[in-house]
Amino acid sequence: MNRRIFLTLGMGAFAVSLLPVNLKAMNFREKNPKIWSATKVDEAMNELFGSSSAIEGKIKIKAPDIAENGAVIPVSVSTKLKASKVAIFQDANPESTVAVFSVPQDGIIDYSVRIKLGQTGTVTVVALADGKLYKASKLVKVTIGGCGG
Amino acid sequence: MAKKTRIKAKLKKGIITVKAMAKHAMLGHREAKKAKKELNFITYMTATVNDKLVYEVSTSQFLSKNPYIKFKFRGADKGDKVIITWVDLTGVTQVSTGKIK
Repeated sequence: MNRRIFLTLGMGAFAVSLLPVNLKAMNFREKNPKIWSATKVDEAMNELFGSSSAIEGKIKIKAPDIAENGAVIPVSVSTKLKASKVAIFQDANPESTVAVFSVPQDGIIDYSVRIKLGQTGTVTVVALADGKLYKASKLVKVTIGGCGG
Repeated sequence: MAKKTRIKAKLKKGIITVKAMAKHAMLGHREAKKAKKELNFITYMTATVNDKLVYEVSTSQFLSKNPYIKFKFRGADKGDKVIITWVDLTGVTQVSTGKIK
């Protein structure tokens, strides 16, 4: 009987260990809630990276020039930089930060997400690589607002 | 919210491309007000393969409804399982699995 209890405990522990929290993961919402309430791209960059000056280029953003529907805007980000953090910001919504990726070791940075833009705005992607910040931005024209509009 | 995340993972030349679509309303401030529901959106999403973290993102309400994500990684084989976990603002966690083809 004792053995059975022991096994059950083991299973429980195993299940817990599967949770991403224990994988040295970084939940930026818990770690730094301020970046989510920042209303300007610079502000959000300061909160997240500690600086708002970045080198232009080296990152590719794929997003439509004109989006008919602001609720679904496909954005792809790719870079060959060995970045450890990649963040997507925009300046069309009340708050700036859209998503923050932490890149696992040997990760390939080629991410696609769909985002919402309330109005025409600039999508900015910032990557942290070797202690330097790189950024790229793209203007997306929105003809119908996406934030509940 | 009971529906699972749809996961498609494909191996090609050593690189696995994962496409996943989470089922979530992603209610931002305005959507929540409109729908008379509480603010709720996915805040954190991860993917693991063979207990190794391959994707990690903290997100905001500005992701579209039923967020679709695509990413690539190396170092897994056919038949390996991709486990995608997300957590939303109310603390709901959902774990979904997909197989690499």
